[in-house]
Amino acid sequence: MEFRARDYKAESEAHALPRKRADGDPLSAPAVDIVEDKGEEFFDPLREPNSNVVGSLDTEDDIGHPSVVVSTEVPGQENAKREWTSFKRFLMQRFPVSKMVSISAMSDGILRSGKGYEKLSMSTDPDELDDSQKFSEEGIRSIARQEYISRLKEFKEKFADAWQSGDRVTSLKLAIKVAKLLTDTSVGQFYPTLFVLATDIMEMLGDMVWERVKQKAEYAEDGTFLCSLPASFRADDVGLDAKETCNNWFCKIGSVKELLPRIYLELALLPCWRFLVDQPIDSIQRLVMMARGVADPLACSYCRLYIARCAQKLPSVDTGMIHLVSIASSGLRKLLESAVVEFGLGNTEAHGSNPSISIIVHNLIKELPVDMVNSKTIDIINLIECCNDYTLDQCLNYRLLGFRLSESKYSLHIVTVVDRVIRVVSQKDMLDEYLKVVDAYVDLIFQNHMDDHLVKILDGISKRICNKGMVGDELACLQSILVKLLSHFKNLEDIFSLNHFLEILDMMYGRSRMIVNMHILDKATRGGLICDPTTIQLLFEVSQALNDSIDQVNVRDEDLQQPARMISRFIDKVSYGADRERHLAFLVECRRAFGSTNELKETLVHSSNSLAVKALIERKNHLDFLKSCIAFSEVTISSVTALVRQLKLYLETAEVALLGGLVSHSDGLVQSAISCMQSVDLVDVSRGPTDADETLNFLQKICGFLIILPGNPEKGAVYTPKSLFALLNSQSWMTPRMRARICCAMISLSATLSQKNLPYHASKSGIPSNDILFYGNSAYFGELVSFSEEVVRKLVDAIKQEPSPVARGSMALEACNCIALSFKVS
Amino acid sequence: MSPAMEIKLSRASRVYRPSEPLEGKIIVKSTSSVSHYGIRLTVNGSVSMKVRGGSAGIIESLVGAVKPITIVSKSIEVKPSGKIASGTTEIPFSMMIRQSGDDNHERFYETFHGANISIQYLLTADVMRGYLHKPLSTTMEFIVESDKAELLERPVSPEMVIFYITQDTQKHPLLPELKAGGFRVTGRIPTLCSLSDPISGELVVETSVVPIQSIDVHLLRIESILSGERIVTETSLVQSTQIADGDVCRNMTLPIYVILPRLLTCPTSLAGPFSIEFKASIVITFESQLSKTHPKSDPRTPRLWMAMETLPLELIRTR
Repeated sequence: MEFRARDYKAESEAHALPRKRADGDPLSAPAVDIVEDKGEEFFDPLREPNSNVVGSLDTEDDIGHPSVVVSTEVPGQENAKREWTSFKRFLMQRFPVSKMVSISAMSDGILRSGKGYEKLSMSTDPDELDDSQKFSEEGIRSIARQEYISRLKEFKEKFADAWQSGDRVTSLKLAIKVAKLLTDTSVGQFYPTLFVLATDIMEMLGDMVWERVKQKAEYAEDGTFLCSLPASFRADDVGLDAKETCNNWFCKIGSVKELLPRIYLELALLPCWRFLVDQPIDSIQRLVMMARGVADPLACSYCRLYIARCAQKLPSVDTGMIHLVSIASSGLRKLLESAVVEFGLGNTEAHGSNPSISIIVHNLIKELPVDMVNSKTIDIINLIECCNDYTLDQCLNYRLLGFRLSESKYSLHIVTVVDRVIRVVSQKDMLDEYLKVVDAYVDLIFQNHMDDHLVKILDGISKRICNKGMVGDELACLQSILVKLLSHFKNLEDIFSLNHFLEILDMMYGRSRMIVNMHILDKATRGGLICDPTTIQLLFEVSQALNDSIDQVNVRDEDLQQPARMISRFIDKVSYGADRERHLAFLVECRRAFGSTNELKETLVHSSNSLAVKALIERKNHLDFLKSCIAFSEVTISSVTALVRQLKLYLETAEVALLGGLVSHSDGLVQSAISCMQSVDLVDVSRGPTDADETLNFLQKICGFLIILPGNPEKGAVYTPKSLFALLNSQSWMTPRMRARICCAMISLSATLSQKNLPYHASKSGIPSNDILFYGNSAYFGELVSFSEEVVRKLVDAIKQEPSPVARGSMALEACNCIALSFKVS
Repeated sequence: MSPAMEIKLSRASRVYRPSEPLEGKIIVKSTSSVSHYGIRLTVNGSVSMKVRGGSAGIIESLVGAVKPITIVSKSIEVKPSGKIASGTTEIPFSMMIRQSGDDNHERFYETFHGANISIQYLLTADVMRGYLHKPLSTTMEFIVESDKAELLERPVSPEMVIFYITQDTQKHPLLPELKAGGFRVTGRIPTLCSLSDPISGELVVETSVVPIQSIDVHLLRIESILSGERIVTETSLVQSTQIADGDVCRNMTLPIYVILPRLLTCPTSLAGPFSIEFKASIVITFESQLSKTHPKSDPRTPRLWMAMETLPLELIRTR
């Protein structure tokens, strides 16, 4: 066999595409024009959110956006009405109901209303008494949700019909029946829906009575027009007849025995009090008191919600009414929320002797609109201050207030509030309470540049930790505070120089500390190079703690990678400028500290290699330094456990060594890589196709590298390729395809080495390359030829071993291609 | 079609005071003209009483009724004989209820519809049409309230009485757990109340070991009738009003607010032949398995799972 002679330069010129100089950069200039042209025409949903489109959305979404209302009478009431409507919709959607609704004996009104039901199951004994006895035996029954709803709608229609036909007694009876349904809370999740539908009917009743009394006041019995009531009429403007009618309605409702329906009905008629008295507010206060008699927390809370809603209908509802109700009257949802909470606590909380107001205040603060929180901050904080009962820790209310205040950009009283809260909290000795409150205010303190508070807080924290150490919740809270602090400051040095910061950090442990450390590193590695030795030292300690915590805290794999990546990034960013020895020493220190983590060792090798290259470029006293770098890398690589990575690192370092002219080092590194492969654990490599592919890649790459690595004159020029080839025999796990490819690579290598001019050289290293060393040496040629003959045989064998005919065909083709390219046709 | 007649009073509420003229119009609707011998209006006011139950004698229980007491009986001619044209004719009227010049006439009791005693005022219009035609007649009730001149000023401070209900104030046997566990409900309620005002007081559940099911205020009436030599008294329930539904919070003031039903109440009156009095009864029902076996019972019957306090309530008409 004889190698084909190649002229790489000519070949490359012949195969290269014709090149032409471009007028401009196709990627930059024209692109700008396009963006500007089209900017006007097409709508980018992510840009300019202040355009009209958003405005039109607003009008649809009327929850919490009281936009301009075209109102005839009182704008506040219009708003309230809209808010109520959307709130009802929200209620119905928020509580999905199963298909069946369970009801207790109290709701039998709904059952008896439907004729169909009576036919079905009441046919045997339709007697009322039997019916209720049945209930008491079975306790709870169920009815299809849809049926319940349609029954209620039926009620509504009947009610309206009766009213239209002048049968007001029937209307009232139906309304009472519906109101009674609200006493049954065993319907559970259906209750909100029931509430909405029932109050709809109540509202209808209220409107109808209002219209009727108003008509009586405005028109005489024979239809003559008396007067028109102004929007803000007084009780004196209303005639006796109308008053009489109105009074009658209240009497009728007053005769309803059951408490809850009576309250609902009076609420429905609440606006009608205006015909009788000038101060209908008193009624509200009485109704609020009366609602206390409803023990069922769910029913009671919904009832209060309806009180709040109905209070809005009265003109000039003074916000200073009852403190709680005043806040309640403009927001709505929170009452419901408190309902849920109270429901959870059940009756037990009610038995205590103290009013259990804290928890209600909590929910109020939670649900109030942000504007309201802002404008009423002082009131709220007074409220928090005066309610400190067992239902809720007071500091949780302070905390919540802080979070709510942070939701908006600015607030009028922010400085006063923060001052007050910090003063209050500084009297609390418990670390837990202190942290919980402070956590909520840190952002506010930063936003308003209240730096002296920050100093106070850090001081407070450190004092309290020193007393008593930290546990779970406290750690989490402290973590949150420190993370906020980190994100506020631009400069890491500023944070480190804060009084007590490092001290506090030192006292943290576990997962929280890990997270804070990661934030610190993240902050550090976001910017440019880290040059300050003190900072490097601090960060090194942080990294060390982080690395240690990986071992301590039981973490999942993905969690583990994150900190390692952070530390690598930090190592990358460290710079000692010209003091490369110091830098290498730092790397040594790092290796000692992070020796347990593979990924970090890899980074260290890369760093030391890049140090070596930088030194090479400067060319000053570099040889010794280069050697120490290579030595550092070599030692480090040997402890990397992942094979493929190890191989790559060897090759990289070998390249650097060759670049620096350290041929024997380079050769040694390649040998190490090969021996490393020999000692490979079979199971380890055959783990997956990726590893196998990477190994193949590595082998091909090393063939490429061997072209520029001068052959070893002592062991023979083809020593290294031969030992590579020997690898093929020893590694039984390799697939025929892999073997074939490696053989091809070796054939190409031999063919290339036989050329007079190699296609590439190790640049500028001043080392004699293989073509200079060996070209024309017949022994060398002979060696290459015999080696490649051996390889070709092996190649043929490998192809024959492939079981799949298709794969075999493509392998054979590849092999032919390679052989044809490498050898002369003889 | 025979002619139809109705009376329409000037006040929709139909409430008049004895010193006021009773005004309104008689409306006759007819397809043809109606000739008549005069249109008369008659006012009749009376106290009718009946005695029921075992306390009365056999004959009395058979007869059932004590002779009614006439308060007023007066008749006037609105129109002398003549003709009513076809279509709708309105004949206005105005008459004094109180007989003039008769100062110490029977007292005008207020309208009251009770169980055994009924005080009613009726206004009847009659159109006499000779023997060939059926006379036209229509009757309607109107309501009498005491004269303003006779009324008291609104009580400046209603007389409140403080009550407390505990296991020891009960005269009837209680469930052992109630007796042992104990309870205490206190409050204030008026003993004198204007008919136009609600009964308003308050109530606090201070302690109760057994959960409360309900607290109700029952308005009771006591009707006494002089029947022969004996006085027959019967107490009945007028209205129940629930104050607390379920096991309410302890030490929370719950308002008592009871609107007095019209017609079913009147000023407390102690006349010779009869008397009408009222009481308020506060009844606490405790949760108990036993109560479920008696789903419906008279709320006044003392039960093992109930505690109650009954207080007299004087009702008055004020200005």
